[in-house]
Amino acid sequence: MSKLLAAIIAFGLFPAAGFAATYPDRPVKVVVPWAAGGDTDNIFRPFAPALQKHLGQTVVIANVGGASGTKGAKEAKDAPPDGYTLYVPHEYIHSTYYTGVADVQYSDFEPICMIASTPSVLTASPKTPWKDAKDLIADAKARPGQISVGATLASTSHFFPALIEKAAGIKFKYVSYEGLAPRMNAILGGHTDLTDSNLTQKGKVEAGQLKFLAIATEKRHPEMPSVPTLKELGINVVYDVNRGLMAPKGTPAAVLARLESSCALAAKEPAFAEAMKLQGTAVRYLDRKGYAAWLKQTDDENRAISKDLGLLKR
Amino acid sequence: MGRDGIAGLVCLVTSLALFAATIGLPEASLLVPVGPGFYPRIILGITAALSAALVIIDFTGRATRLEAPAAAPKNYRLVLVSFAIVGVYVALLPWLGFRIATLVFVLVMQVALEPPRSRNSWLRVLIVAVVTTLITYFVFERYLSVLLPRGRWTDF
Amino acid sequence: MYDLLFSGIANIVQIKYLLPLFLGTFIGVLGGALPGVTIAMTIIVVLPFTFSLDPLQGLAAMTGVYVGGSAGGLITACLLGIPGTPSAIATTFDGFPMVRNGEPGRAVWLGIWASFFGGLLGGVFLIAATGPLAAIALEFGPWEFFALFVFALSMVAGLTGGSITKGLLSGALGLVVTVMGSDPVMGAPRLTLGVGFLEGGINFLPVLIGVFAFSQLMSDIEKMGDAQQGQAAGPIPKLVVSHLKIIGEIIARPFLLLWTSFIGVLIGVLPAIGGSAASMLAYDQAKKFSRHPERFGTGAPEGIIASESSNNANVGGSLVTIMAFGIPGDIVTAVMLGAMTIHGIQSGPLFISQQSTLAYGIFAAYIVSHFLMVIIMALGARYMLRLTTVPKSVLIPVVLVLSVVGAYALNNTMANVYVLLVFGVLGYLLVKFGFPLAPLILGVILGDQIEINLIRSIMTDNNLWLFLTRPISGGLIVMSVASVVFALWQHRRHQKRNRHSTDGDADF
Repeated sequence: MSKLLAAIIAFGLFPAAGFAATYPDRPVKVVVPWAAGGDTDNIFRPFAPALQKHLGQTVVIANVGGASGTKGAKEAKDAPPDGYTLYVPHEYIHSTYYTGVADVQYSDFEPICMIASTPSVLTASPKTPWKDAKDLIADAKARPGQISVGATLASTSHFFPALIEKAAGIKFKYVSYEGLAPRMNAILGGHTDLTDSNLTQKGKVEAGQLKFLAIATEKRHPEMPSVPTLKELGINVVYDVNRGLMAPKGTPAAVLARLESSCALAAKEPAFAEAMKLQGTAVRYLDRKGYAAWLKQTDDENRAISKDLGLLKR
Repeated sequence: MGRDGIAGLVCLVTSLALFAATIGLPEASLLVPVGPGFYPRIILGITAALSAALVIIDFTGRATRLEAPAAAPKNYRLVLVSFAIVGVYVALLPWLGFRIATLVFVLVMQVALEPPRSRNSWLRVLIVAVVTTLITYFVFERYLSVLLPRGRWTDF
Repeated sequence: MYDLLFSGIANIVQIKYLLPLFLGTFIGVLGGALPGVTIAMTIIVVLPFTFSLDPLQGLAAMTGVYVGGSAGGLITACLLGIPGTPSAIATTFDGFPMVRNGEPGRAVWLGIWASFFGGLLGGVFLIAATGPLAAIALEFGPWEFFALFVFALSMVAGLTGGSITKGLLSGALGLVVTVMGSDPVMGAPRLTLGVGFLEGGINFLPVLIGVFAFSQLMSDIEKMGDAQQGQAAGPIPKLVVSHLKIIGEIIARPFLLLWTSFIGVLIGVLPAIGGSAASMLAYDQAKKFSRHPERFGTGAPEGIIASESSNNANVGGSLVTIMAFGIPGDIVTAVMLGAMTIHGIQSGPLFISQQSTLAYGIFAAYIVSHFLMVIIMALGARYMLRLTTVPKSVLIPVVLVLSVVGAYALNNTMANVYVLLVFGVLGYLLVKFGFPLAPLILGVILGDQIEINLIRSIMTDNNLWLFLTRPISGGLIVMSVASVVFALWQHRRHQKRNRHSTDGDADF
């Protein structure tokens, strides 16, 4: 009896502690704001079992695609902040906010951890005449606004070529192709000239179906050392897409701490690292503090880019 | 006015109302040469035109007017009742939770569709309701890890 | 290619895939055999079960349903004279008379083996044509896709239902559904009517389930309450036959088998004309080419062979269309496509090369399920008839619960369930006002794609004449106009002939 009483008192006095001790007691849903099979999905599908292992609860991925990823963001934002609904964004959360596509911004969420970073690669259709990025730049200067780029507007695949436009003093024409798969269809068929892709498309390059013109890393990538960096070509653009885990604002600190520690362990799983290699992605772990600082900085950068590109709406 | 005329008028009014709602949508931007209202206006225009055509055809009587079918009288009351039951089920689902709501729904729906006359048929109705609820719950939630709604009132 | 196929078959016969495939085929046969339960309804019921399976498991189960369902309809068609699914209507013409002539085994097994051979011929086409067609589809730019979707829609609108105006209007209403929510380019909200969850647009699966399931079930409910429904007829006949003789009977008519299977495949490839049209057309052709057309309708084996081989070959054709073009040909393939999207698989021109394991897994599932279908029929055909005694009052609530689960489990939100209910009511009303549902559903499925491809083509090049001057696109546009004109002409002729046309129930 006294034990029970003590338990009740303890629970009453330290509800957070009691909650944290029981969290998670049911499956955790991770909202991926794009259709399954996209890059984000491919990165979090292998992460889910790793997280599940260290969290001790089922982790279910829910693909809530649509409207440039803002549908899933809204759903995650409106979910109860109890740690049972998580959300996995990348830089689009900043760019869609500043370009006025979405009302949700990164500060509507509590960061948990960053897990992966994928460098962008400027990719061309096999039907284009260019041998390398230099040819492209020369052609683009001769025909401003004529070369078409398949992109998810106001998202990373739009910002990356837009940064190149600015750095090289050229002008592209954008065509809306949301998601990597439709972009690939269009570029393989020659219906668009250029697109942003990543090292997952390596196989197609080797098969001669695509051309990698340049990679947006500091140094050449060990996976594809033949692809020059944009920097080498005198275009000062370094761009990668970074993905992490977030929870709705107001999630109890104890729950966040539990998620953070599980995430840290999950990111170290060798199976996850192996899966990321196939995705042309590096495991990049940042803890809550590190991720928060990174988000703040990236948010400022995206605001600046939006302004530079004349897309700033806020 | 015939059946088609009424349907056509409803569609016409709806499409015109929606068309009106597209006014004020942002126009073409630098990036996208057409605004978000461009395609809806085309579609709603076509819909309105087809609805108008339907009304006109109905008035001019060119379409063969259908005689009232001499088939068995249709049980529209039961259809209404069924829709109402489904509506209540859907409305209560998030409050009662999947298990309770489904049990009650399957029970009530069966009774409504074919009122049990004997103790045996009552038993059958009850068994079907319990078995349907249990099987769907266990198969989906336990085996297929599809999460079903939990009750906000019952937390079950 | 054959290595891939063999490894596909080796893959699919693992118990992990064989079990869902078997269960799918079995449920398909049951659903097909049950009058009033169509293949589409069966696949809607199966859909939620596949959400958490791995993609090939889910697609194997659905392929099984499709194959099993297309064959299952013949049991009730032959033995009771009631088609279990619309695609078995033509089977009743000669199947039922043959049973009455005292040859139930011959009728049923002619149907089963014709389904088997027709299906396998469809499979040959499926495997041979998907790759080349996908290569052609890759050449399709936004103009061609736009034109192709418009063509599909205009054909369906013209061919279904009595009134072309209503067919077209129904298709247009489907498109209206897809413009509500947000625009597909920048996600700007539009026509949300102030409803929050509409901002993300309306998912087509709950709309499809709602429109289709409710209109069917409610039409069934209308007929309830009056006299007790006919319970299954007396003793179940024995179906023992010499299979060699039956197979011989089919093989002895190679031209018939090939031609009707070809018709099935062709109708299958064309979007949105289903198995019922295939079997009717094949039956008609068999009759025309026969030396004894007067025997049709009295238990001619050719009639059964034509109907059943074509409706199973039709499945192969439909699968080609979703796999090469990523366009659903009917509700069943629309649900399969929806299931793929849930698993993040983008069907389309790149599907067969990028997801070859999955693609050949589907091919293998398609072929293996024909063998499973024959086994299931051999063991259970007689007992399927007992199913017709399951009262509607039990069936309807169970199907409704599964529809709700299916809608909810799509994204784990109640919003989709509300969509289901709203469109359930709407779909029923449309049927009551004599609108065909097929164009509406196709419109909902294709709407987003039509819009985005239109806008993409404008963004790529602001010259609108390209729709007509690009050869494939121009050809498809001309064909769309032609199909509507043809439908109008046919309608006129039909009206002149008999001034009292009656419109059918909700058939899809």
